[in-house]
Parts: sequence; C-alpha cells; structure tokens
Amino acid sequence: MSDVKSASYTQVDNEQAEIVADEDVVILTSHQAYEKYPWSREYYDEEPKEGYFIWARRTTGKPISTCVLICSQYVTQDAQNVILIDEGVEAQMESACAAKMKSLFGKHIGRSKMILKDNAKLEYKHVHSWGEDDDVQSTTDLIMGKGSEVIYSQKCQRVPKSLRLINYNYIEESASLNYSATVIAKEGSVEMYDDTFLNGKKANGISRVRMIARDNAKFTGKSQIIANEAATGHMDCMGLILGDDSNIIAIPQLVNNCEDASITHEASVGKISEDVVNYLRSRGLSEDEAIDLVVNGFMGEEEDIVIDGVKLDSSLFM
Amino acid sequence: MSLLKIDNLSTEVDGKGILNKLNLKIEKGETHVLVGPNASGKSTLLYTLMGYPEYNVTEGKLLFNDEDITDMEIEERTKRGIAGVYQNPPAINVKLSTLLDKISEGKKQFKSIEGLEGLLDRDVNVGYSGGERKLSEVAQVISLDPDFIILDELDAGLDIENLERISQVVKEELSDKTLLIITHRGRALKFFEPDYAHVMMNGEIICSSKDSQKIWKTIEEDGYERCKEC
Repeated sequence: MSDVKSASYTQVDNEQAEIVADEDVVILTSHQAYEKYPWSREYYDEEPKEGYFIWARRTTGKPISTCVLICSQYVTQDAQNVILIDEGVEAQMESACAAKMKSLFGKHIGRSKMILKDNAKLEYKHVHSWGEDDDVQSTTDLIMGKGSEVIYSQKCQRVPKSLRLINYNYIEESASLNYSATVIAKEGSVEMYDDTFLNGKKANGISRVRMIARDNAKFTGKSQIIANEAATGHMDCMGLILGDDSNIIAIPQLVNNCEDASITHEASVGKISEDVVNYLRSRGLSEDEAIDLVVNGFMGEEEDIVIDGVKLDSSLFM
Repeated sequence: MSLLKIDNLSTEVDGKGILNKLNLKIEKGETHVLVGPNASGKSTLLYTLMGYPEYNVTEGKLLFNDEDITDMEIEERTKRGIAGVYQNPPAINVKLSTLLDKISEGKKQFKSIEGLEGLLDRDVNVGYSGGERKLSEVAQVISLDPDFIILDELDAGLDIENLERISQVVKEELSDKTLLIITHRGRALKFFEPDYAHVMMNGEIICSSKDSQKIWKTIEEDGYERCKEC
C-alpha cells in the first residue's frame, strides 16, 4: 500500500475518530451525508448512526483508505457505508475492519453500498482482522454502471468466532468485475456468499472464492452467477482442508436466463496433495514449510492493514 | 569412499516389488547414465533415492558420503546434497520466484538463466511447456547447490533445440556436480559424455560399461533384450 494519504476515514468503536479529505474526494460520516445530501438517502437502509460516506468526484491517483476498528470490550458496531464513484472517475481504495486486540467480544455489522457511475473504475482491497471472540457480518451491494470496471478483493486471515461475508454484485452493460474473497480460519464458523447479476450486454463477472480451513474451522461458500443478458461470467470456488476436524461446503451455482450468455464455474475442496508436499520437501523444505508455502500461494500476496494511516502487518494485531 | 553407494537395494510400491537387489557405486564428480525401457524401474530409483515415503525399501541400503540414508526423510537427504530433476513435477500455485527464493535461502541467484525471466512470475508448472518445465526444474536444482543430481528423462517432451539448450545449462551450471542421467530415449547422450552407462531391466542393472555410445548403439540396433547377453 502507498504511504501517501490522499483521503481517509477512521472510526474507533462507535465514534468517527478522524477524517482527512481533499478537494477531489468528499468524506463524511454517513450521518452527516444523510443530512447534507438528501439524494444520498436512497443508498441507506435507514438513517445511519455510524459509518462513512465517500464520494470520489475526480481521479486523484492516490488511495482512499478507511479503517473501522473495535478497541473496547462489548462494542456493537452498525456501520452503514456508501462509496460513490462519479462517472469516468478512477479510484483506488483500501479498507480495514478489525479488532485491535483479542477478547473484546465485539460485534461488527457492516452494510456497504458501492456505486459506480458509467465508465468509473475502482480498485478496492478490503482486509478483515478480528479476535476469536468477535462476531462479524459484512454485507456489500456493488452497483456498477455501464462500462465501469471493478477489481475487488476481500481477505481475512484472522477470523472471529463467526464471520459472514455477503456480496451482491449488479453489473450493467459492458461493465466488468473481478471479485475475489480469501479467508483462512483456524477455528470458528465462516459463511461466504456472493451473487453476481449480469444485467447488461457484454457485462463480465469473475468471482474467485478461496477458503482455507485449519483445525476446527467450518466453512460454507456459496457463489452464484445469474446471467440476465448476453454476458459472460466465471466463478471458481476453492477450498483447502488442513485440519482433520475442519469442514468446507462449496456451492457454486449458475443461473442462465439468456441463451446468448456464457457462464462457467469450477470448484474443488480437498487437502494439499502429498505429491506437492513431497516435491517441496525434496527442495529442502520441511513439511510445515511446504504447507505454509502452498497456503500462502493459495491466498495470494499478504495484505497490509492500515490503522490511522500507518501500515501494520496483520500479525501485529494479536 | 563413493559419493553414492546403492547396496543390494530392493523396493516395493503398494506391495509390488520394483527394484530387485540393485547395486551401484558413483564416485564424486562422475556422470552416469541409466538407460532402460519403460517400467524398468528407473524413475523408482529416483524416488527411492529422494526418499519418497511410498517407495518402501525392503532390503539393502543407501549410503551417501558413507552415511546410511536408507531411512532418512526427504528434506534431510536434500540438505545432505541430493537433488532431483523430475520428469513430471506437480503444478503448484506458488510463483517460481517465490519458490526459488525459498529454496536457495540466499545461496545464489539464478535469475540470469536464459528463458527463466519469463517464468519467475508464473506459478510453478502451471501451464508450462515441456521446455519451461525442465528449465524450472534445473533452476530449482541449481538454487539448491547440491552435490549429486538425478535427472529423470531430461530429454522427454523436448524438441532437439530445447534439449540442447537445457543440456547446455546443465553442463555450464552443474559442471562440478555428480550426475545420474536417467533416460529411455538416449537422445541426451548426444550432449553428455558419461563416465559410465548402465542398462536397467526389471528392476535390475543388467549391464554397465564405460562406453555409453556402444551401449546405446546396441540398444538402437537390437533392442534392450540384447543387453541381457552383455
């Protein structure tokens, strides 16, 4: 992640802690936006008490960052967030939702709407890092205008006791989405749902879900692509089982309502092949190092987490 | 003291005997070629030497630098200086550059090998051509900096230009190493001058000679059966 801070929002527990905005990106609390811009109310389920409103009006080339933290015990967050990217604007965004330490017994509900106007572009990385006693549900509606492009990745390497990641992606004509969600869990219950609606001609949606279950983790991953127009889509839903008591359910589903649409999927759930482990051992790695290497490869590159504008490695949290 | 001594070695896989009282000595710095028809046990010898657990030694022993490695774990053998170039290595979702960095642990950087640059950001053996696979294998082995290298079917899946290129890399980068080249085609013999050639059939070495060209000529003209009369 870049050290350059263009615009940012930080929330600690239930209070907005800091907002840094510039002339190209409007950042308000959701409550402020609800009051100031009546037109924004259509994006909220109800009058918001927490969360952020980000409105990218011009292309800046610098990242927008948000951080929603739980720092105290027994906090319940209900963050309603709106990200609005104006027509033709390109934005890069990095978000972290996290508990600052273990055993805070927090509850985080995130309800986000990302709206891209026609031909807008967004590259969005969202990292979660929680304590093992937290309870988290994050729901995102992604609404993509014609010709817009989104690269959207979600990662969670420290899962709470219960994690639900829910995404609804609505893609209009000639718009393109590349979505990936990767979660590694040692314990706890993880549910990952994503529905991608191809609503316009030449729309393209790709969904990649990666689930890695260690020890006693229980996963359910359900991905669905619904083609309503002559569009293309692909999903892959992959699970790695690394513990005897772990469990993964992968449910890929394709719904084609248009004869000119082309949608495909692949899915696999299993342990790391012994051939691969032995091969890596023959390159001098121990069995544990071999497994770690494969898992890291499966997850992709490590993501930093930004707290108060400072880059932190996720391992520093706990 | 031989670098490698295979002493009366028998192995089985899933209860089926494959190697049968095999004996072989390789001295430091030598290049040996092992030829034999398909299913003669050549690749089994590679995996047994590397220590793959499903290759069960039922009799005999393996000595490397006079140390008994018969029951040693795979990675321990690698650390002692044994490495393999595999014919069919598995695909892994790890970038080749990441794997090379991991296995070399700062010993050497081999990113200058011709043709390797384009592979570094790709996952290991995912969508590789035959030549790319061999180049990746050789690069990994070079990064390990071993004493003894087993090259399994170096000439398989390569056109003559690629075989020449890979052979050249092996000769240049591994010139000071001890090599055991396994092949059933013999094309690799064009590019190496082995000290010894051995013929394997039915899990046994049935013929050994310093004249590898003569052995290969016999095989080409009269087939492997003729070697039994050697």
